[in-house]
Amino acid sequence: MSAPQSYLILARSSPYGSNMPKAALDIALTAAAFEQEVAVVFLDDGVLQLLPNQDTESSGLKNGSKMISALKVYEVQHVYIHLPSAEKSELDLSKVPDEIEAITDELLQDLVSKSDHVMVF
Amino acid sequence: MKFTLVINGAPWSSPSARTALKFAETALSSGHEIYRLFFYQDGTGNASGYCVAPQDEEDIPARWEALITKHDIDAVVCAASAHKRGILDYAESERYERDGANLRPGFTVSGLGQFIDAATQSDRVVSFVT
Repeated sequence: MSAPQSYLILARSSPYGSNMPKAALDIALTAAAFEQEVAVVFLDDGVLQLLPNQDTESSGLKNGSKMISALKVYEVQHVYIHLPSAEKSELDLSKVPDEIEAITDELLQDLVSKSDHVMVF
Repeated sequence: MKFTLVINGAPWSSPSARTALKFAETALSSGHEIYRLFFYQDGTGNASGYCVAPQDEEDIPARWEALITKHDIDAVVCAASAHKRGILDYAESERYERDGANLRPGFTVSGLGQFIDAATQSDRVVSFVT
């Protein structure tokens, strides 16, 4: 395959309202497996995917947060939380896993303009 | 220009599929090339041969099939997305012991790797979100 390209995955859906969160992670992991440069940004309702202590046992749903914490292990280079979205959702950043970096509007704009592919889920 | 289209919407529930179809028809008639159509998520519904459109409505899956066959376009359906929505080719229908196969002619079932390949090879990837 040719030179790696950069993928920016914007995960903006709430965690259990649709299968968009899973679709976002599947694309991110596949791109990383094919040695592409991948960044995932959780924004808008998507920041709720990062809520700590998600318990899906009684609902029978698949817990997406475990896959999110494994993104870096599978060579997804950057995982970000969009700061203004986190503030709007009153998400306590200290409870978000350490490997997740914070990103401002300005840095996000920069990332969007520099990425070869921007995909919204 | 060489395009890849990602179709995420089912023909019966969102304008995404129809918009993508029109885009594909227009791109080809304007002299552009389509490297691949990638049907993902609910978009895999476009590959179902079991959909019956009401007489006074457009048959979007049939139009896809016609376009794909006429121009010999590579049309890939994401396997994981298709299977859970009941879209199977003959081999998978046998493998999972289902009563019938409904993948339309012209479409192939494959994985997300085909999307990454398409993104690498194309000048533009255009996603039609639901």
